[in-house]
Amino acid sequence: MPDGLFIFFAALTLGAASLLVLSRNAVTSAMGMILALVGVAADFFLLDAYFLGVLQVLVYAGAVMVLFLFIIMLLDTEDPTDSYPWRKAAGGLAVFFLLAAGVLWLFHWSGAVPNTPAGATPPELTAAPSEFATAAKAFGRLLYTKYLLPLEIAGLLLLTALVGVVSLSKDAPAGQA
Amino acid sequence: MEHTTLAHHLLLAGLLFALGLAGVLVRRNLLVVYMCLELMLAAATLALVAFSRFNRTMDGAVLVFFVITVAAAEVAVGLALIVALYRRRGTVSSERLDVLRP
Amino acid sequence: MSRDFTDLVHGILMLPLAAAALQALLCRRLGALASWISTGAAFVGAGLALRLLTASEGDVRWHAEIARLGEISLGVGYLVDSHARLMLFVVTFVGALIHLFSVGYMADDSARGRFFAGLSVFMFSILGIVVADNLLMTFVFWELVGFSSYMLIAHYFDRDYAAAASRKAFVVNRVGDLGFILGLAFCLSRFGTLQFEELRALSPAGGWPFALGALLACGFIGKSAQFPLHVWLTDAMAGPTPVSALIHAATMVAAGVYFMARIFFLLDPALLQAVAVSGAGMAALGGLCALAQTDIKKSLAYSTLAHLGIMACALGLGRPELALLHMAMHAFFKATLFLGAGSVIHGCHHEQDMLKMGGLLRKMPITAAAFIAATLSNCAVPFLAGWYSKDAIIEAAFHSGRAAEAALLAVAAVATCLYSARMIRLVFLGRPASDAAGHAHESPWTMTAPLVVLGLGYSLFGGLLAAQMLPASCLTVIAKPIAAMGFHPAAPATVVGLVALALGAFALKFYAAEPGRDALRERFPRVYDVLERRWMDGLYRWYVDAVQRRVAELVAFLDLLLINGLGVRWIAAGIPALLGFLSGRVFHGGQARAYAAWTAAGVLFIAWILIAR
Repeated sequence: MPDGLFIFFAALTLGAASLLVLSRNAVTSAMGMILALVGVAADFFLLDAYFLGVLQVLVYAGAVMVLFLFIIMLLDTEDPTDSYPWRKAAGGLAVFFLLAAGVLWLFHWSGAVPNTPAGATPPELTAAPSEFATAAKAFGRLLYTKYLLPLEIAGLLLLTALVGVVSLSKDAPAGQA
Repeated sequence: MEHTTLAHHLLLAGLLFALGLAGVLVRRNLLVVYMCLELMLAAATLALVAFSRFNRTMDGAVLVFFVITVAAAEVAVGLALIVALYRRRGTVSSERLDVLRP
Repeated sequence: MSRDFTDLVHGILMLPLAAAALQALLCRRLGALASWISTGAAFVGAGLALRLLTASEGDVRWHAEIARLGEISLGVGYLVDSHARLMLFVVTFVGALIHLFSVGYMADDSARGRFFAGLSVFMFSILGIVVADNLLMTFVFWELVGFSSYMLIAHYFDRDYAAAASRKAFVVNRVGDLGFILGLAFCLSRFGTLQFEELRALSPAGGWPFALGALLACGFIGKSAQFPLHVWLTDAMAGPTPVSALIHAATMVAAGVYFMARIFFLLDPALLQAVAVSGAGMAALGGLCALAQTDIKKSLAYSTLAHLGIMACALGLGRPELALLHMAMHAFFKATLFLGAGSVIHGCHHEQDMLKMGGLLRKMPITAAAFIAATLSNCAVPFLAGWYSKDAIIEAAFHSGRAAEAALLAVAAVATCLYSARMIRLVFLGRPASDAAGHAHESPWTMTAPLVVLGLGYSLFGGLLAAQMLPASCLTVIAKPIAAMGFHPAAPATVVGLVALALGAFALKFYAAEPGRDALRERFPRVYDVLERRWMDGLYRWYVDAVQRRVAELVAFLDLLLINGLGVRWIAAGIPALLGFLSGRVFHGGQARAYAAWTAAGVLFIAWILIAR
């Protein structure tokens, strides 16, 4: 039986995600999304990945979702004529339950995942040195040594995205809009 | 805390992923679809962090870092595309964006 | 010690390649520089080859494995025995002089960079054949030689006849090379190795299979222009004259003979018999056909065919050493003849018709002297280069009691004297038959110098000097069989040679009749026609037109009907079209959600497979 904090945050995350999927109002959806991301970040904390948790809250729940909210408000996507397509939603729900059943079976009953508690080292890894560190310093060291090239490429990707967005957000040429 | 196992975290990740996928399939508002996609990504990162934690290596966590970076870039471009789409066609409903229909 | 010589061989082989690469990359537009780079490389190579010839004693062996496929080892290597040393020297020396000649001959050409790069590639390829220690390497360089020959014949590629000639040479050679590569495969499957040394050591109990020798000999028949694949050689004269001299007279066509000498140990006696008869027959026919050509280069090409026939005959008689000796001698005097022809053509402003020449002896004395000296050597005047080898081969035929071959060779000897006399008479003696010949001028030193060295030096004294100058290592193999035959002045070959020379003198008078006309054609038009007609070309044309084309048309029709129509149009194109129609109905609704659903289904399916595994 998992501890209380995990259960609480898992329930929060799933509930918020359900809100995101089910809510008819896009702003409500975005709120659910923020909550779900905060829940995921809390789970990161529970997994000792503090740096990533902070990053998740700052970047995702903060910056990205604010961007989403801006766009939602900007575009005014409410469409009153749109009825909720229950007939098709049923298909989506079926997908969800099918997947959920698969996930439950795979991770809970199939025995494919070792049931080791978080503190203990898995038996097959006892010989390996413990590399996992919680400090942002260890994270940074790894980023600037082993993963230097991917880091640079990621930086380049961000620049490309920046340029792409600028060119996309320019006004469309006259006659095409 | 001692009783939370890898399976629990993976279960949470899997359910989040399933919710996100269902949302992608059901919703028509492209913005919401996009958020559902982000939810699927978050679920995947959660699984990665869990594996990383339980295998006692940093590699998965670093990969998550990159996933967040790429996702941020992707959101920026994707939202710009959606805005451009809205400007041009006046809607963000995936149901109405069907010029590919044969 | 032997290590040194390996480096020497590396140098000889790689210099031309380096020169070619340099030109291909840097000197496409710098014709003059390119020509001297190539020529310099050729001369350095000749010097190295001379050093190898005079200094080394034993064989040079070197091998590097490139790939190992199971039991089969493929690689490159050198096996430079006495034959190879001689051949290396002949090729590099003649090649270097022809390079020098080309500097003058091609001076006005706009594509000198390409031409000299081609010459260097050719040198590299032919040297590769000479030093190769296995059949595969030989084959690779064999093809490279074919390629460079193709490229150089088509030097004037904007002219239809040159393009057609190069294509013909290429296609005809492919026919021969098909046999060669089948031979390689056969050899590999049966004996598991392609190394000459290992094969020689094998000597299978039941003798070497006839098919192996016959297949490998196909390559020889193609490359050395033996009957029935000789048709390409005379057309190959469409290339620049130095190319004809280097490739289609002195070296490449002789490479086939060299190759046959190298694999001589695995040739079946029955095969040798056939080679001897075909070679002797071609020697006689080639010589006679040379009488009915007015183009000076074509006439020389037929003469080359005749000499190749003589070499093949020597091979067939079981005397590869004599074949090689004749090859070396022939390389010198035939290169001179072609270069002389080139000089004449150059001097007469690219006039190639012998009937329009005449009286050039006074206009171009150096060229004329060299040409006549080489001609005398060609006619086997005693103590000139050609005499040693050619008469030795005729003698060998008598000696082996092969009357038919000997008779054919005798005809060839007579024919040689006849066409040589005709050539001299028409080109150099008498009065000029056209304005071009009237205004002829001597060529620059770059062209006359090689002529003097090759023609006067080697054709006249080559035979005499060879015995003194060259070390024993390469001549013992040749000297022994000559001594064994008891060669003496009253031998049948000598008699034949003298009769031929006398007939030649008669021909000199016969062709003096009147300038601008061919005496044989005037007096015996039927004989001339028979000789001029290209029988094999006609046969091939008939075969291609009447037989092959019909079959091809039938096959093409069936292809159109069954494969293209039924197979491709209906089955292969119909099923996707049907699937596309159905999937268009089912999947492609234009809904992004539907696409996402199918994508997710596919991904999950793959995930399921991965998990279930």
